[in-house]
Amino acid sequence: MSALPEYKTRVLLTNEEVPVVDGVFVAAASNLDNSLPQPPVYLKAQIPGATSRAASGLVRRADTKEQIEQDLKTLLAPGAWGQADGVLVTKSIELIGEYYAACMLDFGSAEKLPCGVLLFSPEGGSGVERRRESLRKIDFSLLNLPSADDLIRELGNVNNPQAIGELLEGLCRTFARYKLVVLETNPIGVLADGSVTVVDCRAEFEPHAVSPKDKDLFAAASTTKRDLTLLERLVQKINKDDPAGTAFFRENRKLPPERAWRVATNLCGGGGKMLWEMTTGARSDIHSMNESDTSGGLSAFKSYRVLRAILSIEGSQVLLLTGSGMGFQDQYHLAAAVWKTLRESPTPLPALLRFGGTDEDNARELFEKVSAKLPVTVKTFLPHVFPNAMVDEIPNLVVKERLMVTPDPQPTGAPTFRVSVPPGDFFFYPHKWPRREAPPCVRACPTNFLVWSPDKRTIEPAADARCIGCLLCETIALTEGKGELRIRLGLPEVEE
Amino acid sequence: MSGILKQLIGIETPKVLVVGITGKQGQRRSKVMKNMGTKILAGCTPGKGGQEVDGVPVFNSASEAVRSIPELNCAVTFVPASAIRVAAMDAMNAGLRFSVLTADGVPTHDEVVIKEYAKATGCTYLGPNTVGMLDTAGYLLGLIGGNAAWARKNYLPGCVGVISRSGGLSQLLGAFHCRPNLPGPRADGSFGPVWGEQSPGVSAVICTGGDPIPGVTMLDAALAFEKDPRTKLIVAYGETGTTQENDIALAIAAGKVTKPVIIFLGGKFTKEGVAQSHAGAMIRNDAETYAFKRKVLEAEGVIVVERPDAMFAQTAKVLGL
Repeated sequence: MSALPEYKTRVLLTNEEVPVVDGVFVAAASNLDNSLPQPPVYLKAQIPGATSRAASGLVRRADTKEQIEQDLKTLLAPGAWGQADGVLVTKSIELIGEYYAACMLDFGSAEKLPCGVLLFSPEGGSGVERRRESLRKIDFSLLNLPSADDLIRELGNVNNPQAIGELLEGLCRTFARYKLVVLETNPIGVLADGSVTVVDCRAEFEPHAVSPKDKDLFAAASTTKRDLTLLERLVQKINKDDPAGTAFFRENRKLPPERAWRVATNLCGGGGKMLWEMTTGARSDIHSMNESDTSGGLSAFKSYRVLRAILSIEGSQVLLLTGSGMGFQDQYHLAAAVWKTLRESPTPLPALLRFGGTDEDNARELFEKVSAKLPVTVKTFLPHVFPNAMVDEIPNLVVKERLMVTPDPQPTGAPTFRVSVPPGDFFFYPHKWPRREAPPCVRACPTNFLVWSPDKRTIEPAADARCIGCLLCETIALTEGKGELRIRLGLPEVEE
Repeated sequence: MSGILKQLIGIETPKVLVVGITGKQGQRRSKVMKNMGTKILAGCTPGKGGQEVDGVPVFNSASEAVRSIPELNCAVTFVPASAIRVAAMDAMNAGLRFSVLTADGVPTHDEVVIKEYAKATGCTYLGPNTVGMLDTAGYLLGLIGGNAAWARKNYLPGCVGVISRSGGLSQLLGAFHCRPNLPGPRADGSFGPVWGEQSPGVSAVICTGGDPIPGVTMLDAALAFEKDPRTKLIVAYGETGTTQENDIALAIAAGKVTKPVIIFLGGKFTKEGVAQSHAGAMIRNDAETYAFKRKVLEAEGVIVVERPDAMFAQTAKVLGL
């Protein structure tokens, strides 16, 4: 779940015509101008997910222009709370009452359909405990959003029913339009003329639920750069360049306990990740260097790139990989990616590999052929051996010190042709295949994407077929051919 | 022999519309489904009406397809998560009583809406975030099996009904129950084949999906297996998050599920409020924890195992193999 700070939540509400108190957002790098409201004002540091801001000194009241400037400088500077996105400067208004309202989801149960939920209390402001008693819970359909009249009926006896009903209708509309997980307004201020306005607000959302047209609105609010490690940003870019399939990767922030085996993992699917947690959750002798989930329609090109990141985790002593190709991922393709990674990485790791599912036999056979030439030890497991049994082999494989090798040289220069989805450069070397018949790499292509041109003595991409990034062409060229075809899979550049 | 869909929603023979048939996944998976015996009568992709994919006619929408081929009764969707809400509602509007929604990463709002819409239209769906279902009576709806040759070899008719919230584990639990001489830890602590040449086999495999708001729940699937005459034993993969496993325990207590149940329960070390790979595995309250689920399941006689390979020995024991 990602948090949306107040200044961005206000934009969502305003787009749905929900009244919010006048205010101006001052970005961290921008200069002050005359658009700031006249004092007295409130200055609120904008930090996604921050709560209890008043108690932390992140909300201040300024009664003079000088004080505004002084407080802005303080709040815009990095502090104990980190670096704020900026400061929201809102007009100080006189309130005669305060309400609380929030929207969230009810996931339902065997007896009850899931729905939206509106929480409302006539007691806004601070004091959650006090409010608990007066909190009303109104279920609503996301298919047929409630009208102001519906909500007024549900609320019963409140002051300013029409104004508050219309505001709450707008709240539900905003919640549904942007598919938010939480939308909280506290307080909703009641002004002397009976009108109501949102004084403070926040939201939480699922990044994958954001519509492309709203991307800019939510962009800076998702996990920020400063929270991610270099390798996590690398995998983020790999995902951006090649979105098909799942590639989740997160480094473990905790330091490994002394004497624990440090295991880099590449696991398939949510179930694979859960199996690993069940296996290692109670063990202090095994430290996972990262969380991972590579699954779905992942190409071998992408598996290779993610594995390159995984092998780069500093301090790792061994790689544990479990594949499950019964749905999407052909295990032979995955094995091709693992082999390529282990021979091309400057920091390969001894590996425990379990292939399970489609083409599992070919996957293991590949490693029977190539393991001896790798700079690290590789042990493959049959599919019925689960992580709980694989871990027994860890002490036999771990390296004490990180191995640094000079990997196979990558092809250089202009490729014979390039594939953009999934991205890869193909190099064909005619001198290594001086024959008229098609080389094995062409016959290995499962989609007939590679076409042999005997007269030109080269391979060409077929116009009517797709490359699925399986790496079988290169694998077969190296194991059954003369190395006539190589594929260069560059890694995206990431700023240090 | 009737398949599990008959027990789930009363459909004797699924006659399938593949939504998104012109896409890469749609084309690839349609071939596998057909090779597994599934009757695919039509496909649909907006703007591609009039085309054919491997001899299957393509329509612009589910409604258009049903108008031309009224015997259609199921939809299997291969569309991105962002399009699943519209695709699912289109299939339901067209009168297709059962849909399989394979997409991962569907916004929770859309899942709420689809569930409500299904209830209003009297339709049922499996997923989202599911690899689908396979029935050894002769059909596959979704992604199970990788390729048809592998699936035919690894999913053999038998008496075990498999339910799982994980795609990988549903396929794995299904396939391993069909492997002759499957090696693993035996109930007596030794290691070796847990059964002989004759494996128990599976009646059907149902992946309810990894999301918090599933269409067909674990309980729905268990009740279908309870009615299924082929099924003698229900095995399942459950985990933290949602109350699906607790609902099975309640159904056993109420006498609605009487067949033996073995569950590999994941999430022993999952902490409350922490997001998981499966969105549905996040713990939101005490009833969704591993400890609570284990307690209520065991109280009703369910065999709970902590590691997947322990399940097969339990199967052998229950079936007397």
